[in-house]
Amino acid sequence: MSEVVPKLFRINTGSCNGCDVEFMPTILVEKFGVSTLGVEMVEDIKDANIIAITGPLTARSESFLKSAVGKIRHPYVVVGVGTCAVTCGIFRDSYAINGPTDKIVDVNVNVAGCPPRPQSIAEGIAKGIKVLNQVMNGEDIPKTIDTIFKDFSAPESFRGRMDLNPDMCTACRTCETVCPSTAIKITEIAQGHVHNIWHNSCCYCGNCAYFCPTGAIFSTNSFDTVKLQSEKFEDVNSEIIKPSDCSSCGDSYMPPSRGLLGKGYVHDDVKKLDTTICSKCRKEANFKRMYA
Amino acid sequence: MSEKIEIGPFHTELEESVYFKLEVDEHRMVEKVEIINGFIHRGMESLVTKKNFMQNLILTERVCSLCSNNHPMTYAMAVEKISGITIPLRAEALRVVADEVKRVASDMFNLSMLTHIAHTHELMKDTMNTREHMQDLKEVIWGNRMDMSSNLLTGTKYDLDDRKVKIILDTLDTVEPKIRDLKERYENDEELKTKTVGVGVLPLEDALEIGVTGPVARGSGINNDVRVMAPYGLYAYRPELQPNVTLSLRKEGDVHARAMARFGDILEAVRIIRDVVADMPEGDTYVDKRPHIPAGEAVVRTEAPRGELIYYLKTDGSQKPVRMRWKVPTFTNWEALKVMILGDKVDNVTMILNSIDPCISCTDR
Repeated sequence: MSEVVPKLFRINTGSCNGCDVEFMPTILVEKFGVSTLGVEMVEDIKDANIIAITGPLTARSESFLKSAVGKIRHPYVVVGVGTCAVTCGIFRDSYAINGPTDKIVDVNVNVAGCPPRPQSIAEGIAKGIKVLNQVMNGEDIPKTIDTIFKDFSAPESFRGRMDLNPDMCTACRTCETVCPSTAIKITEIAQGHVHNIWHNSCCYCGNCAYFCPTGAIFSTNSFDTVKLQSEKFEDVNSEIIKPSDCSSCGDSYMPPSRGLLGKGYVHDDVKKLDTTICSKCRKEANFKRMYA
Repeated sequence: MSEKIEIGPFHTELEESVYFKLEVDEHRMVEKVEIINGFIHRGMESLVTKKNFMQNLILTERVCSLCSNNHPMTYAMAVEKISGITIPLRAEALRVVADEVKRVASDMFNLSMLTHIAHTHELMKDTMNTREHMQDLKEVIWGNRMDMSSNLLTGTKYDLDDRKVKIILDTLDTVEPKIRDLKERYENDEELKTKTVGVGVLPLEDALEIGVTGPVARGSGINNDVRVMAPYGLYAYRPELQPNVTLSLRKEGDVHARAMARFGDILEAVRIIRDVVADMPEGDTYVDKRPHIPAGEAVVRTEAPRGELIYYLKTDGSQKPVRMRWKVPTFTNWEALKVMILGDKVDNVTMILNSIDPCISCTDR
């Protein structure tokens, strides 16, 4: 089994420069471990075999990317750096965006993050090298690759992958409203509501967690966002929010959380309110309490 | 005999995609320069009108990740102006802290790119490692190394307690001596000086005519820092916080002078953070999580790490802005490039471009 010398070239297809700025320390600062991979930065795309692409692929860059990709010699591996490169993220709805990049080139490894930590970018490059070696030796590309840099850690406060506690969630759709990159989708089904968070579209801003009235959605400090292209659409956090049955009329309804009730009943003691009845029955009960 | 040279759009020394068409003479001096941009045009002005005010807090951050605190802050100030909201003094102080931390990190990044392009490897490594302290600080306090997401329409999302203040002060204690040491070395390093002194000169008259802003202006001896000329936020309440611009002013107007002007900015930013943190006003960090925004227009300007940033916002009482436009610092500094590059060596073009700290994603948006 022969080892290739990884030669890296970066292409910016219209990023907000966050990923490009984070790319430089990844290469230049020792603690991120890229130097242990034996990566060489090349001046000319013709010599490269690992291409790191940032940005959502603006209309203006498209033809230049096509001609640049045409110059690369096979075999090569493409690492999409940043949420924009993976799914266009926050810029998806714009008229000036022709992306994501996998429309033009075959992307192998996706690094989601806005911008990704240098640790994640290093991980993406390492996985890219692994895929490249497998391609060179004619092996099949596996479905998943285990984490290569195992000793990286993130501080508690790091805004990483979002998570949902379905018991707290009342499907009020605040997170859906404030999410700038439309990563959250709530759909109603017969069994309740499905709450989906697509990590590859998330821009890790923490808006949903901040505005969530019940604290159901929260960010973890996990930065495990480096996935192979085959996992692109599967990396979704999906939870079912189940309704309850009303203790009075027996209809199924979405129980409100204490937090929401507190906002609705400012002058009442929320603890004393009966939360096991549906909104219709509660209206009736309130009417009786006030006027009967 | 002249030769035509093209640089870009994808180039290892260019942080963002630009396209240079140059004509050089037999001594490889640039005779004619044409700069083509638009590669980073993402249709931002259309995009902001499609998203609601809460989403735009984050979208404006992504105009440019290097000044990613100034954009949402200026946007929030414009909304507050339309809504007639006065935000608590504590929120103003928190905004200044976030802003100046970003300024230090942004300017340090530009300096490390300068030394990277100049191939002064030791200096580059030390600058980058010093910047890492600020990046780690941002990650610990705000949760992300670049996009801090610290602003809210009527204040800030985050708050500082004693533990966090201590983390900030400890970081500044480690970083400040390193910055002073680096400043000394940048001032005296022979290799760097031969490569940067007298390169890409922007004379005072040209600088005034073009109307450059930020460290580019300060490198040519002009003081038009918005924090001093038109104080906003906490700078208006506490004038003693305003930066002492004389520390950043340089007369030479070359690449080296602009780098040294950035050092002045960085050291003043460190001083401002210390002053604000030492005397934090008490109170709330925001007024109202989701304010009512009536119809109206507002223009607000602030000082970004690269210079003057102007926001224009028009609303009609709905949940989305009708029009949002911004004038970014690189827009004016860009014109100065033509003066700087003409008559200089073609090998210096990327270094001169880097010296205005171009934010092409702001300019193209």
